Amino acid sequence: MQIEHGAGADVLASADERQLRLLAAAGLTDAPRVFARNEPVIVVPAGNPAKVEDLRDLRQAQRIVLGAPEVPIGAYALRILDAASTLYGTGFRQAVEAHLASRELNVRQVLAKVRLGEADAAIVYRTDAISAGDSVLAIPIPKEVNAVAEYPIAALRSAADPALARAFVDFVLSPAGQAVLGRFGFQ
Amino acid sequence: MNRRAWNLVQVAATTVLVAFLLLPIAALALTLGWRDFLAGVRHPLLAPALRLSLTTSSSSLALVVFLGSLVAWWVARHSGPLSRAIEAITQLPAVIPPAVAGVGLLLAFGRRGLVGSLLARHGYGLAFTTSAVILAEAFVSAPFFIQAAIAAFRRVDENLLTVARSLGATPFRSFVRVALPLSAPALVAGAAMSWARSLGEFGATLLFAGNLTGRTQTLPLAVYTAMETDLRAAQALALIMVVVAFAVLLVLRRMYREALGA
Repeated sequence: MQIEHGAGADVLASADERQLRLLAAAGLTDAPRVFARNEPVIVVPAGNPAKVEDLRDLRQAQRIVLGAPEVPIGAYALRILDAASTLYGTGFRQAVEAHLASRELNVRQVLAKVRLGEADAAIVYRTDAISAGDSVLAIPIPKEVNAVAEYPIAALRSAADPALARAFVDFVLSPAGQAVLGRFGFQ
Repeated sequence: MNRRAWNLVQVAATTVLVAFLLLPIAALALTLGWRDFLAGVRHPLLAPALRLSLTTSSSSLALVVFLGSLVAWWVARHSGPLSRAIEAITQLPAVIPPAVAGVGLLLAFGRRGLVGSLLARHGYGLAFTTSAVILAEAFVSAPFFIQAAIAAFRRVDENLLTVARSLGATPFRSFVRVALPLSAPALVAGAAMSWARSLGEFGATLLFAGNLTGRTQTLPLAVYTAMETDLRAAQALALIMVVVAFAVLLVLRRMYREALGA
């Protein structure tokens, strides 16, 4: 929305694939390319007070925080809960949502609630879990129900120096750029 | 400055300021079609958020007016370092950014907070409940009412209280029957400011109470949530919020004028 209203930017890298697709369709950016993949994981506070060992145990957490369905991590969480409902029984999503304390508007807020010990469990990206260090414990979500987040990048047509903007995008996609991203938990 | 120039300065200042204050609000309305507005009225987030905003902001107002009046009366009738310190403390929340206030509330009343950990041991949790919304709103809005009340109570003529006492009224009775009616217009104005601040509260609520439809998602949070997917819907919700706020403030203005007349 800020881009549509003329915010000065040269390259847009977004966690929200849809937003970038809309901008590309409107002719405001080059064709978006996927530059990183991230994977949702369960995080619990250090010490794991609710003793959540895997996705199935999520039900026993007293206070769960997820992203709002309007933001990417919340949409992924809902998809995971729905997929898990076919695996662990139809009541799984309802059982988790009954313990839902908040639907946060960004993933850092979700993570903050776990770091503060206010939430017993949450779903965030692997990169967020890594950034929190020892204050949280990451628990993988089974592949068959998990979603993979794909992050697109594109140079903006309105970039002050379009050649430089494209060169930056190429660098991010190069092995050197990918190695940097890998260090932070991106795939 | 001659009279003509002075008038011109006032007219110019009024025009600039009113235009500046009105333009963003007018833009919300003017750039929105009827169809978008009606879609906003039917938005699934609206009804629960509106209900929650009205109940929590009136609860926090009741809390602030009841406790705030007593504190303001004490502060207004006493001088000395303690009275000045209490007055300063009641103004503190007004200068703290709301998001910081939310973090503070969480660290005080959250599960691992200074007081919250004691409550948690007895099975009570405040954070992420509707009560947390009310507390967040009371925290940020209390300074507005208390400041107005202190200023109003200070203007109450000591002689009138002395007369009331000499006629046999207890201190409590002279407060209720003399000080409160004399200060009513200022108290209503302070209450209106305080209520408006509660209704618009966003940062502290988001951090301390979270964002859950029907439980903690007030109107400003619903607007922000809608903005994630649909700017038009967010705009329509924001406009409805402006209309609601305006209607309530009109009612309060009426009460203010009646208080002046009384």
